[in-house]
Amino acid sequence: MRDQALRYRSIHTQLMEMVLTLRQTVEDHITQLTTRPQQQDGQAIREQEALLGRLLFQIVSFLPAAAQSFQPPCTSTDSRGDVGGGQPVQTSRQMGQMFYQESDFENTVISYDLSNRGIDISALYHLSFRDYNTYQGNKYHKDKNTLGYINLGTSENKLCTDLLAERLSQSDMTYIDEDLLQYTDWRGQPFLRKEVARFLTFYCKTPEFLDPENVVILNGCPAVFSALAMVLCDPGEAFLVPTPSYGGFAFSTHLYSKVKLIPVHLESQVTEANGYPFQLTVDKLEQALLGAKIEGKKVRGLVLINPQNPLGDVYSQDSMMEYLEFAKKYNLHVIVDEMYMLSVFDEAITFHSVLSMKSLPDPNKTHVIWGTSKDFCISGFRFGALYTHNREVASAMSSFGYLHSISGIAQYKLHQLLQDREWIDNIYLPSYHFRLQEAHRYVTRKLKALKVPFLNRGSGLYVWINLKQYLDPCTFEEELLLHRRFLDHKLILSPGKTFMCKEPGWFRLIFAARPHLLRIARRRFQQGLVEHEQERRVKQLEDATKEEVSTSQPETPASPALRKS
Amino acid sequence: MSTLLQKEARMTTTCPGSDSIQGLPGNKGDGLERECSRKPDQKPLKSYGVGDPTAMFSSGSPYLSSRGSVIKWFWDSAEEGYRTYHMDEYDEDENPSGIINLGTSENKLCFDLLSRRVSPSAPLSGIPSSEGLSSLGFPGILPPESWLLASVAPALESGGPALPWGPRSLPLGRLSQSDMLQVEPSLLQYPDWRGHLFLREEVARFLSFYCRSPAPLKPENVVVLNGCASLFSALATVLCEAGEAFLIPAPYYGAITQHVYLYGNVRLVSVYLDSEVTGLETRPFQLTVEKLEMALQGANSEGVKVKGLILINPQNPLGDVYSPAELQGYLEFARRHELHVMVDEVYMLSVFEESVGYRSVLSLERLPDPQRTHVMWATSKDFGMSGLRFGTLYTENRDVATAVASLCRYHGLSGLTQYQMAQLLRDRDWINQVYLPENHARLRTAHTYVSEDLRALGIPFVSRGAGFFIWVDLRKYLPEATFEEEVLLWRRFLENKVLLSFGKAFECKEPGWFRLVFSDKTHRLRLGMQRVRQVLEGQPQVAEDAPPRQIQEPRGPHR
Repeated sequence: MRDQALRYRSIHTQLMEMVLTLRQTVEDHITQLTTRPQQQDGQAIREQEALLGRLLFQIVSFLPAAAQSFQPPCTSTDSRGDVGGGQPVQTSRQMGQMFYQESDFENTVISYDLSNRGIDISALYHLSFRDYNTYQGNKYHKDKNTLGYINLGTSENKLCTDLLAERLSQSDMTYIDEDLLQYTDWRGQPFLRKEVARFLTFYCKTPEFLDPENVVILNGCPAVFSALAMVLCDPGEAFLVPTPSYGGFAFSTHLYSKVKLIPVHLESQVTEANGYPFQLTVDKLEQALLGAKIEGKKVRGLVLINPQNPLGDVYSQDSMMEYLEFAKKYNLHVIVDEMYMLSVFDEAITFHSVLSMKSLPDPNKTHVIWGTSKDFCISGFRFGALYTHNREVASAMSSFGYLHSISGIAQYKLHQLLQDREWIDNIYLPSYHFRLQEAHRYVTRKLKALKVPFLNRGSGLYVWINLKQYLDPCTFEEELLLHRRFLDHKLILSPGKTFMCKEPGWFRLIFAARPHLLRIARRRFQQGLVEHEQERRVKQLEDATKEEVSTSQPETPASPALRKS
Repeated sequence: MSTLLQKEARMTTTCPGSDSIQGLPGNKGDGLERECSRKPDQKPLKSYGVGDPTAMFSSGSPYLSSRGSVIKWFWDSAEEGYRTYHMDEYDEDENPSGIINLGTSENKLCFDLLSRRVSPSAPLSGIPSSEGLSSLGFPGILPPESWLLASVAPALESGGPALPWGPRSLPLGRLSQSDMLQVEPSLLQYPDWRGHLFLREEVARFLSFYCRSPAPLKPENVVVLNGCASLFSALATVLCEAGEAFLIPAPYYGAITQHVYLYGNVRLVSVYLDSEVTGLETRPFQLTVEKLEMALQGANSEGVKVKGLILINPQNPLGDVYSPAELQGYLEFARRHELHVMVDEVYMLSVFEESVGYRSVLSLERLPDPQRTHVMWATSKDFGMSGLRFGTLYTENRDVATAVASLCRYHGLSGLTQYQMAQLLRDRDWINQVYLPENHARLRTAHTYVSEDLRALGIPFVSRGAGFFIWVDLRKYLPEATFEEEVLLWRRFLENKVLLSFGKAFECKEPGWFRLVFSDKTHRLRLGMQRVRQVLEGQPQVAEDAPPRQIQEPRGPHR
């Protein structure tokens, strides 16, 4: 019975999300049609039409599956299991065909041309990057587009682009050599691998020099992660991941490699077993692993992000050691993503790279990821590196060099950037950390003023904030509504659900933006909250009035009983 | 044996730059040069073959998934050849007895053009393009074409280091001119994953012009990513389920096997072509619709589901091009069977003989099935920048474009590189007045040199005037017509410090064919050919069972 309710709830959430998206898209579409008539924006409009079609299709194809789930409660558990497992993609295809014939949407609605996984990839992408794409199409600009979106959802570092643009324009960056224009080592140019090894040796404070042969360079950390998932897992196998956790992993593992993520749910409540909010313990890891095993899932590894995203916390050396020992005990790979290692801005906090440990419990199964996107504000540069002692893994990863290669010219620039220790230590990092501190101070002060609770940590580009008080009831549907509210105010935040957070109401807020942008964002944030609160009050009032009316009349249909169940 | 063999085979494919192989060799004029030294006792071979990468390796690993082990095998086999070459790379001064690489399809002839900083001087008169540099706000910076050609030709002839600008001595160039150096903060941030709009617009304009498309191509049909390898991977994934297949005429650029397998788990069904001209065919290794039909039926009968057809045009390794009529035929075949067609045109601007009459599939007035026709192009070959990692898809199918773009997060290229590419592609004057004429002249010269050498040795070959390679028939040097012997001969070349690619790496069904890349500097080419000659002269020739046919006169240039 409880299962049924949960299932219902999840279907409801999904459906609602779809309808809301549809509404949003229709609105955008109309705005676009009315505000920019006859511009050469034909492409954008066509794309929106296509998106509309796709969304409608999603909803239509979702309905039968949902309808099947609304069987009377007497249905046995078995049959429900069937509904859940029954090939949803197949269903959606058949539905799509029906729908297609009856509509005038061109073949934008559903394609016979894509494979099932192709359809899946497209759909997942649109779902995951919806806000991002909205933002791309309508960015805030202080002169040109003051009504555009401000994106505090995507973890992108915009604090120091000026420093980077300046550094990358210096004359030592422009060198071009024949070798840079030709095929080279697919693991990355030897000179860059060497530099990365040196760089990590220094900034990770490793006990010994790192070996360039253990470095594999690909075009970005998502690519590194995707390739790792391929070589460590077969389709359907799984990684453990403590949640809330950066949602990009779910995306990366699903798209190409079809690897599952098993969440290790952490809790905000501080209890005896939970010394601080969202604490990861070996106990919880073991429980999750056991649970997965009981369900017949094969777990191949554990993914840790350190410094953590979205929590902004760092793991202590001791905790890290415990997790690694746990992994060793159960023969799991550990992927440690240290993407934000140079973004620890609170001097009171010491970050310990896993590479700094004197002896790793299982070095052949410990794989470290780092890239320049966050720490150096160059997400558009597409650079990610793997460091692993395991040569087999390194070799297998190298096969992907073909598919995730970086321009030789870009590799050269990266080399120049990473070797310039003087600039990094004396100019870049001090300014970067100072700006992070400033931005963090500003944002946290405002949050306090607004009485919004948050985790006050000293690393990363984000704060993890708690808006539970604005949700009534405290559900993911309401979280989504609040998210939409911010969108209405042209502000993008990331809702906790995208981080697989178990508790509704959490949001990640990126503060690594320039002050003027943060100021406008703050205004929009506040407006959103106020408006949300007002409407909630109005609704409460209405409900109360209705209840009064209904209590005065004896027989009332048990109102939204399902919601409560 | 087969494991070793295949391993070696793969090694050549991938070795010195595996990604490089797409192009075509050219032959002078419309002439087709060939002799047939085919053994009559050769057993009849299947007309198609279903590839199965998993069959090639055996050992598992405690650390890797089972697919991870196959993936690793791809690397190891490549690594082996890679090491041999890279540990002993030829260098004129530092390692004159090192290995000369005539195996990797890279254009090493025009690096100076790309790398040289062209000195500011008066703009060229009579620039035809309306998009002249000056109109873009750049100073006129092009040297007179005549001067350039005049200065280069003798340098090539003499083979000496007479080029007035050495790549090493002048490290700045077209790619480092002031217009290339801009670092806009927006270029450093996450882009539109399909590629920056400014670049997609430029690509659409560029392809409209050089593919001579009947109507202007649209930027929204363009997806930009880091090379054609990624494109094959993404297309395989979004068009096929795991285990499904694409048809591909063989011999073909063998690295595609890996590209479609790694992520996509998609297989290739080879449509075997024959060196012998029979029936209505006019030239060796001719692809016909009948052969396609047979291969498709064959694959279906084995329960292999075929979703598409890959065509490389200009062809790699044959150096041939498909005529518009032939293309229409293949496209009609695909339409009848509802197959996607991926046309890889990565050598489209490397057709150095005008008379070849190359036509892009985008130039066709009417595509039989535009929604299932997907065109690929990249700068790796045509601009000699295989290390730059830029490739592009053009497709009218929005679903396919969207699905491929959904994967671009994994195959993106740096914003700065995108900016540079846009600058390069929009510089029509430089491309038309300087780069292309010069590149084609150098390719022609190098091709003439090698083909004359081969002719002097009495070695038959196929080559028509496109691409960087010649497809050489060394069957008479194999004591037995086996792939083992082919590898032995290949190894003898390597021992004599010259690296070629053998036919097995291209899934050629006849042992004894080799691909020889000629797009290299004269001194290296000369030394390489010398080493090839040494090996062949020390190799006993097999008595011909049948009288060798003499060079066949071209039967009608297929325009």
